Amino acid sequence: MSTVVTPPESGSNAEATPPSGPTHRRIAWHLRHGPKRELWLAWSTLVVFYNLFFPMVFVVAQVQPPPAPAWDLATQVHYFHERHLGIPIGLGFIFAITGMTAVNNALIAYSMRRMSISRAFGYSYLLIYSLSALPGLLLLCIALIVATLRPERDPKVLGWLYDFAFLSFDGTMGVFLIGSLIWMVAILIDKNRVFPKWFGYLNLCNALTEVVVAPCWIFGRGVLAWNGQIAWWLDMVVFGVYQVTFIVMLFQMIRREDFGTGPMPDLPRKRATAS
Amino acid sequence: MADIGENVAEGSRSPRNSPRRIDGELILLWTLPAAVIIWASAFFLFPGFMPPMSPTMSADQVAAFYRDAAALPEIRYSMIVFNWFGVCLVPILTLIVMQIRRMAHRTPIFSYAMLGCVAGGPALFLVANVCWLLAAFRPERSPELTQLLNDFAWITFTILVPFLIAQSVILAVAIYFDDQPRPIFSRWVAHFNLLVAAALTPAAFVGLSLSGPLAWDGVLSFWVKNVAIGVWVVVMGVVLGQAVYRERAEIQRRGAELDGA
Amino acid sequence: MTDLTDKNKRATFVPGQPDMWAFVLFETLVFTAYFGFYLFYRAKSPELFLHGQAQLDLRIGVFNTLVLLLSSWSVARCVQSARVGAFRAALRDVYITAACAAIFLFFKVFEWARLVRNGNGIDSSDFFTYYFFLTGIHFVHLLIGFVVLGVVVYQLRSAARRSQELVETCATYWHTVDFLWVLIFALLYVVR
Repeated sequence: MSTVVTPPESGSNAEATPPSGPTHRRIAWHLRHGPKRELWLAWSTLVVFYNLFFPMVFVVAQVQPPPAPAWDLATQVHYFHERHLGIPIGLGFIFAITGMTAVNNALIAYSMRRMSISRAFGYSYLLIYSLSALPGLLLLCIALIVATLRPERDPKVLGWLYDFAFLSFDGTMGVFLIGSLIWMVAILIDKNRVFPKWFGYLNLCNALTEVVVAPCWIFGRGVLAWNGQIAWWLDMVVFGVYQVTFIVMLFQMIRREDFGTGPMPDLPRKRATAS
Repeated sequence: MADIGENVAEGSRSPRNSPRRIDGELILLWTLPAAVIIWASAFFLFPGFMPPMSPTMSADQVAAFYRDAAALPEIRYSMIVFNWFGVCLVPILTLIVMQIRRMAHRTPIFSYAMLGCVAGGPALFLVANVCWLLAAFRPERSPELTQLLNDFAWITFTILVPFLIAQSVILAVAIYFDDQPRPIFSRWVAHFNLLVAAALTPAAFVGLSLSGPLAWDGVLSFWVKNVAIGVWVVVMGVVLGQAVYRERAEIQRRGAELDGA
Repeated sequence: MTDLTDKNKRATFVPGQPDMWAFVLFETLVFTAYFGFYLFYRAKSPELFLHGQAQLDLRIGVFNTLVLLLSSWSVARCVQSARVGAFRAALRDVYITAACAAIFLFFKVFEWARLVRNGNGIDSSDFFTYYFFLTGIHFVHLLIGFVVLGVVVYQLRSAARRSQELVETCATYWHTVDFLWVLIFALLYVVR
């Protein structure tokens, strides 16, 4: 009787009864009874997160694109002075919303659970990416907030916080490298066709950006520095393509999801009515 | 007879092992009161918490705080205890994950998301803890460096809320989506968690000023945030305990029925 | 049923998975961007780059290029052998490919060591930054190539597998690695 507890085989039954009528009614029905509501909620969280993350980091806090490692201490001090409000506010928002990444990672781990492979892949990915938020984002945001906290701080100390923050953002590589490779291997050996193979290869491209950015730990200037045209700008383009693509791929996956354990059906060629 | 819905839900989700292996969960559960007592003791032992140190202290004043021979052992021991037992929250959060797994959801996504949050709070707390210990390790260090470590510790301690907020919201939504006649957690637990999440959010903005409600010693960032965490731990501990005991009773009852049949 | 015929239809357009070709295209674009940066900065300081290029040993470069071309030839032969069912020959060809790759790797590392010993490290000049970066990222692609060759070996060894599509896909990757090296060789060693 409860639509939520339908056994897997009759999943399509539950999808057959969304009411026709005004959109808000249909949305309300889907929110309360749709079998995929959890997945759509997770996906929406993903979209909301990125729509908040990039403006907060790029526009409010203005800490990306990154400044140059070659700047002298006086310029670095000025950089923090300029952002004495933007950083606590923008990064404050980041701290309020970073927990959403757990939902993102859960959705991706779920995609691996749907595959024909061992559950170890999904769990590994979940753990690695959950861990990644700490050195890759949160600690460096704390460093930036500490830097703007006291304008009278010794410039040499500010310089240390400056290096720590911007190197961490680019240079936290291993978690994303290995995490992407795990998803890649999962997609490539999956027999349930949850994702197309080219998306697996795109994960390799994303993993390689983490290799390309490694010289940022060596160079204080040039194309391979933490703000360099190759290490940051080009990598960001690849990363951006990857982000948009995986958001779309997860969308398609949820649409195709049949809650079975075998190969996922393709979307019907004509416009589908069920979500 | 136990709820049919519940049976089917559990059966369809874990066909391999029914009933769920639950040995030892009571031990994990009862570590919580012990941990709470330890945390509270360490909290009151640290001279910087009651009342909270002010961000407006100058570098020399901060250095003097760590150089105070009477306070230094209290700083060190309280932080050592926190270092030992800070992670004790993780088994409790994992028990909550196990209970989410029992809810009438279509997918395990809520338990995955919760699992992803579990280490976040304790890990950030450990960073703050290490910074305090570092500051106390060489009190003769230059005051500016001691102040830096102190700033790092306090900001991290205050701003460690992201995954705590997320786990409360995820738990609340999971409860709202738990469509069964006898849900694992009552609805009010969900409302309560949303309230806690809201109470924790202002602390994320601790960097805005050195005084006032958002500063790390301020009403919102210190008192509201820490009281919210404390109340959450106690309330969730009780609610979790009820859920765990209820589950054990059901398993025993079902086992007795199977034996009888 | 429908996707099987789809697959057969697709197979006539490109060898191996079309997905791999998408990847090849993407990587080529990224490398083109790298080459673009190289050429741009080279035009800004031609003497510096020329001086750096003079330090390179053209003989090792040519040798490595020939070795890699040989490996491409052997992997192409492998695909042909697999197609007609001569799996022992195909396996032998894969091993030849791997051997060529190993020779390439050895001489690359040897070349790098020699350059570094002469004081031309990755941070010694802008030219050598590009040199080590380009050859380094290519080196990583070659290491991945070993994994890819491993997949071919794994496929060919057991009669239960032997997916021609997968062998062709892996061969496509290998040709890309060779192709990228030829471009790098031309840019770094030859064009002066």
